[in-house]
Amino acid sequence: MEKRLAESPLVLTEVTKRYGSFTAVDRLSLDVPDGRIIGFLGPNGAGKSTSLRMALGVVPPDEGEVRLFGRAPDIASLKRVGFLPEERGLYKKMTARDTITHFARLKGLSAREARGRADELLETTGLGEFRSTRVSKLSKGMAQKVQILATLAHRPDFLILDEPFSGLDPVNQQGLEDLIRTEHARGATILFSTHVMEHAERLCDRIVMMARGRKVFDGTLADAFGKLDRGASLDVEEGFDLAAALLPKGFEAHRSAARGHGDAWRIALKPGQGPQDALRAAIEAGAPITGFAPDEARLRDVFVALVGDAEAARLDAAETEHALREGALAS
Amino acid sequence: MRNIFLIFRRDYLGYVKAWGFWLSLAAVPMFMGVGALFAAFAAQSSPVRYYAVIEPGHVYADAINAQFRHDEAEEQDQAEALSDTMQLPAQAGAPGNIKAIRERKFVEVPAPATDLDGLRPYLLGERTVAGPDGDKPLFAAFVLSSEGGELEYWSDDVNIQTLRYVARDAMRQLARDTALAGAGLSTDFIDTAEAGAVKVPARRIRSAEEQESAGAEVTLADRAPVFVAGGLAYFLWLMIFSIIQYLLMGTIEERSNKIFDTLLTSVRMRELLAGKLLAVFAVTSTMMLVWGMFALGGSAVLASRVPGAGSVLSPFMAAAMSPKILLPGLISFVLGYIMYGVIFMALGSLCDTIQEAQTLLSPMMILLMLPMFAIFIAFQDPGSRIVEIASWVPVFTPFLLILRMPHDPPLWEVLAQMGLMAVTMLAVLWVAVRVYRAGAVNGASIGDLGKMLKGMFRKRPA
Repeated sequence: MEKRLAESPLVLTEVTKRYGSFTAVDRLSLDVPDGRIIGFLGPNGAGKSTSLRMALGVVPPDEGEVRLFGRAPDIASLKRVGFLPEERGLYKKMTARDTITHFARLKGLSAREARGRADELLETTGLGEFRSTRVSKLSKGMAQKVQILATLAHRPDFLILDEPFSGLDPVNQQGLEDLIRTEHARGATILFSTHVMEHAERLCDRIVMMARGRKVFDGTLADAFGKLDRGASLDVEEGFDLAAALLPKGFEAHRSAARGHGDAWRIALKPGQGPQDALRAAIEAGAPITGFAPDEARLRDVFVALVGDAEAARLDAAETEHALREGALAS
Repeated sequence: MRNIFLIFRRDYLGYVKAWGFWLSLAAVPMFMGVGALFAAFAAQSSPVRYYAVIEPGHVYADAINAQFRHDEAEEQDQAEALSDTMQLPAQAGAPGNIKAIRERKFVEVPAPATDLDGLRPYLLGERTVAGPDGDKPLFAAFVLSSEGGELEYWSDDVNIQTLRYVARDAMRQLARDTALAGAGLSTDFIDTAEAGAVKVPARRIRSAEEQESAGAEVTLADRAPVFVAGGLAYFLWLMIFSIIQYLLMGTIEERSNKIFDTLLTSVRMRELLAGKLLAVFAVTSTMMLVWGMFALGGSAVLASRVPGAGSVLSPFMAAAMSPKILLPGLISFVLGYIMYGVIFMALGSLCDTIQEAQTLLSPMMILLMLPMFAIFIAFQDPGSRIVEIASWVPVFTPFLLILRMPHDPPLWEVLAQMGLMAVTMLAVLWVAVRVYRAGAVNGASIGDLGKMLKGMFRKRPA
């Protein structure tokens, strides 16, 4: 592939998509900078897939503007993109090798290049022995891997993956995470949608959260966790007044529960304060500490903080479904 | 062009690698061969059947035998007339070498009884009679009624009517001969009178110069263009008929495979459609080509083995190669194929399942049967007013224009109808692309008309 331009591979400006009276995406603005891994998060029906389809020009926005590599999406700009749609689909009667070769050729590779690339990808992902197997004879997971490889075959500058982990067992999910890191190391910009927050936590430089067609957050992971009221739990021997001890050091503590062998306190952290700072302050104040547990910040909590419990419940439902499928696949 | 080729290549190989394609390819020559063999076998295997006539004398039996001989003589005449048309070389010492193929399969035997009750066991197969083909039951018996007004035909198998029809013709001839004799006229009187009738030979009017060189006789060369045009129109119809399932199933497969999004990030919608249409066109062309080669090979074998067959085939070949038919034929063929093809493809994009597509097949068949009726009418009478009017209706134009060409329609009509076909094809293409997009991209279904229409007129991405 040709050398990447420094410009943002994708810029959405105030794009809106309506289906009848239903607004699937509402004034979404998004700038995907070059060379980043960006997670597009939200529950099912949040507008992620529609946004990605608009980004690729598959469906036109009703309002707003889409710029893909600095221009309206066209075949030339799309040649630099690898797209994995949410609804997977392959030609069932084609072999794994022919499938990857066909899609790579559609993206501009010569027949020879495409065949070589298909063989290389199938070998490196452990599917070499299935190269001549028809897609209909492959397991669902294998077929999905073939589609992912077809997406990567032309070494795209920009990968758009819509729910790439969906339908994969945990082992293959790990394999896909590695593949995404490899593609990123090669220099590709990656935008992937998911409703499973853990993938985003492990992979992303930046996250964009969607709920009910609207963007509710756009920033780094640190920015996301900054949205939370974070804190730590501290257990001290019975009778010690931790609130009074920490107040002069700028920390606010509240008794949360009495335990058999001591008292449990909850420390609310202010911006700029870390759990370790609170622990250090307690030690300096001479607190008889028996236990310490900093809050484990999760993106899901950020999402709850941003959109409320009702929307988070939809996310939980999607995650539960995902976990059940994973379990079924693993078994 | 590269993308169109890649889509075309994948679809074409996908179709021709399927078992169904090879079965279809083999089916027509196989059925033609089996059909021909079956017909020949059926003609030869028809058994010799015995019949008897119960009458006081032998008048009716003689009349029936005479009718058989008369029919055989007519067949012989027809065979010789065909040999003349084919300009078969005369073979020394064998003036009557062209013989009617059919041998007489009904043989009169002496009646083994004098009444119907006596004949019953012979007619029911319980007893046999001796005859030239060995001992057999009687197939039928003619019994003169007591009043003498009817010659009753009795048989256990009333579905085979050949013998009865021959007897009916024989009785008419006998009545005519008796009437002539009663009037004191010879039984050959009518034949002699008919032989003296003024003949009405067909003559083809041409320009004086053409007539000078080609003469005025109506030959196969005059009739061949009509048959060729009819064949071409039927061929187009057959091709469109046979693509329905390819276009429907192919589009349904892609829709159910959820592959459109992936494809549309690599190729333009028009490239996708063009590639798919070309692939199906190539598939059916491959079939037609193979069948055509089979027919050509058969004709070549026929021409080399049967004296005179070449002279029968050559006017048809000449007509097929004539620019007057070939050029409008090709244009109608391509425009008609695209017009019908995109309609079926667009409708296929609205279906998720084969069951859904099957509900669409009925209206599609009706749509296709209309041109078939028009072809039939135009073949019978290409100059009729209804054909002239129908040839301006775009769904009929591709077929009727081809059929009218041997009859030299005015040039302005030919050009105008070609223009009309082109404009209609473009309009159909415009709508079909939008329906296809609505179905393939926006998920519109056949029962989702509102969504589909909205999809049709939705802003198109660059």
